[in-house]
Amino acid sequence: MRFPAHTGTQGLTFLLPALVLFAIFVLYPAFYIFYAGLFEWDGINQGVFVGLGNFHQIFTDDGPFWIAMRNALYWAPLTIVIQMVLGFLIAFLLEIRTRMVPVFRALFYLPAIVSPVVIGIVWQRIYNPFGGLLSDIGIATGLRFLTFSFLANTQTAIFAVIVVNIWQWMGFSMLMYIAGMKGISREVLEAARLDGITTRQTAVHVVWPMLRHVHLTLVLLGVIGTLQTFPLIYIMTKGGPNHATEMLPNYIFQQGFILQNMGYASALSVVLLVLSLGLSVFQVKVLGARFSFGGPA
Amino acid sequence: MKKLLLSTTAIALSAIFAASADAEDTTVTYRSWSPVIQTLQKMVQSTEAAIPGIKIDVKTFNYPEYLVDLQTRANAGEMPDIVGLEPGALTQQYREYLAPAQDCAASVWGDDWQSKFYPLAIEQARLGNPSGDENFYGLPVLTQTINLWYTVPVMEDLGLAPPTTYDELKALAEAARAAGYAPMMIGAGDGWIRRDVYMQLIHNVAPGLIYKAEAGEVPWTDERFVEAMQIWKNMFDDGIFQDGALGLSHYPGAVEVIESGRAATFPMGAWWQQQAAVDNPTPLSKNLSGYAAFKFPDVTGQGAPDDLLGGIDVMIGISKDADYDAACKVLTDWIGGAGAQTLINTFNDLPAFVGLRPEKFGSDNQEAVWDMFTKEWLPTVKYARQLASPEVKQALEDALAAVAAGDKTPEEGMAMVQQAYDSSKG
Repeated sequence: MRFPAHTGTQGLTFLLPALVLFAIFVLYPAFYIFYAGLFEWDGINQGVFVGLGNFHQIFTDDGPFWIAMRNALYWAPLTIVIQMVLGFLIAFLLEIRTRMVPVFRALFYLPAIVSPVVIGIVWQRIYNPFGGLLSDIGIATGLRFLTFSFLANTQTAIFAVIVVNIWQWMGFSMLMYIAGMKGISREVLEAARLDGITTRQTAVHVVWPMLRHVHLTLVLLGVIGTLQTFPLIYIMTKGGPNHATEMLPNYIFQQGFILQNMGYASALSVVLLVLSLGLSVFQVKVLGARFSFGGPA
Repeated sequence: MKKLLLSTTAIALSAIFAASADAEDTTVTYRSWSPVIQTLQKMVQSTEAAIPGIKIDVKTFNYPEYLVDLQTRANAGEMPDIVGLEPGALTQQYREYLAPAQDCAASVWGDDWQSKFYPLAIEQARLGNPSGDENFYGLPVLTQTINLWYTVPVMEDLGLAPPTTYDELKALAEAARAAGYAPMMIGAGDGWIRRDVYMQLIHNVAPGLIYKAEAGEVPWTDERFVEAMQIWKNMFDDGIFQDGALGLSHYPGAVEVIESGRAATFPMGAWWQQQAAVDNPTPLSKNLSGYAAFKFPDVTGQGAPDDLLGGIDVMIGISKDADYDAACKVLTDWIGGAGAQTLINTFNDLPAFVGLRPEKFGSDNQEAVWDMFTKEWLPTVKYARQLASPEVKQALEDALAAVAAGDKTPEEGMAMVQQAYDSSKG
């Protein structure tokens, strides 16, 4: 379809404010961090141009960076899949139940609106083997494995934090699924009931497949959330012990502000940006763009 | 109508006078991580009362967030008038933005102004200055020592005296664990407290060695560093630290346990006295009745050094863009004037300025502890608690975590530090 020339000019005029804002707040910072990533720079004084040296170091001689990458690979599938399954189960059970639904819905969603700082502090106490809740339960019940130092062990620490993240955001998945289930026609569920299928079969073979748009949305948000993970790690472990729970945003913060390597932190940010863009494009291309806030389901 | 006119005129005149009075006031801005905001607000009141025409605008952050704020402001050309600094790397990073402070000090205390400070504070204030640069880019406000503390009722319950050797530490660990106490409560999830303990260990093994390594005179893989690292590891393996120490933060995680009276001993520093000055102190902290300080035990069996590690807690620099005279008035008042007295009254830490003393003590124990710090311990301090290079500091903290977790041997841990040192030197 062709538009008259004046329509294009009008359109551009309307787009201009958004484009200007986009250029100032998205494009400029993106180019600036790439530029800063080419320097050995403390963020304050004159930097020294090192070309792609920072990037070379990231990929060839930076152990914590690769631990952060490994942790992202643990974090994304574990949190996304488990949150989705638990969120779906809770949503389905709440939908087929009739009493106290708003109360349970609010209770399950509550952690999602609590500050991650508070959650981090509370869960650090819960995991503390010296007088923590888990430990006390373990001693009282004889379940001695609960007295284990989950956050102090480099093999288990990242999974201990992932559990907290799942607990925090499970309610958000539940809410998304409840919203999705509201859109499923009653006739479909009625037909399933008349065909004599069980509640479990209804959940697995009828409702779950009809919520594809919600699944896709949760996957996309989960991946973005993984790449943005910061406060929970910062409060609970500060990336330790020995970088075992390092995630890229925490590592960038540490390099930029604690170690005063702003140039190196900028290079890491470029890697994170490219990774985010790549994963987002991949998801849209491979999984499609039928998100619950996008095209039709 | 006449009344209305008169009252309107009166309001207008008072507004003009008020405006002109405000216009004469000079506002000095301060940003830092220290002292805590409640203390700062009291200091502001004292200083504003003592120096007419000065208004002070203060804001504090946690240390990492302060670094973000300072860096952002420096880049935006909006440096606060006076800023909190640590000696060494932080001060050197902002050196170009800071005005030399010695002229300010000399204008208030005379040419021999340095004699008003504890010697260690003066020595450390210029840490990292380029060769030939004799300027003071900040003046010390508070100093500290690092040491151990014990909880008096807990040690009485255990029937033990503060440990002086490693064997006594192990005996304490056994007795404390049997009674349900943490032998030595530490939030080893925080790098700074890991480093503080290691600094005291290496100070016992070989006093002064670590500063030679910083200067490149001794390798970080020297067997004495490895020995100290091995002792650090032993403290975990022998149960001297409580279980799960690596997964807990020191503040507020470990402190909560300490204040609940479940810790026999704990590593901290002179600043622990401030627990007595908070608004609602715990029964143990009230008038510092439940705590006493002691030196790190002799972990080598060859005798512990008499001196403690310590130095500047916080110093303050003046921005180049600031109204120098006004900033100087506030800075010197906070070091040795009414503001400083208010600061010291809160037991926030030890003064850098000789002779300052809290006006009121809540108990004989509190006064005795204060006198021990300021008269016996602080004058002995020869070596800094801090390391100069952020990279080496971070590598040491990582190595301590790795060794404690069993991921690295002490030799491998010190090799990590050596590698970071080599990288920092290019």
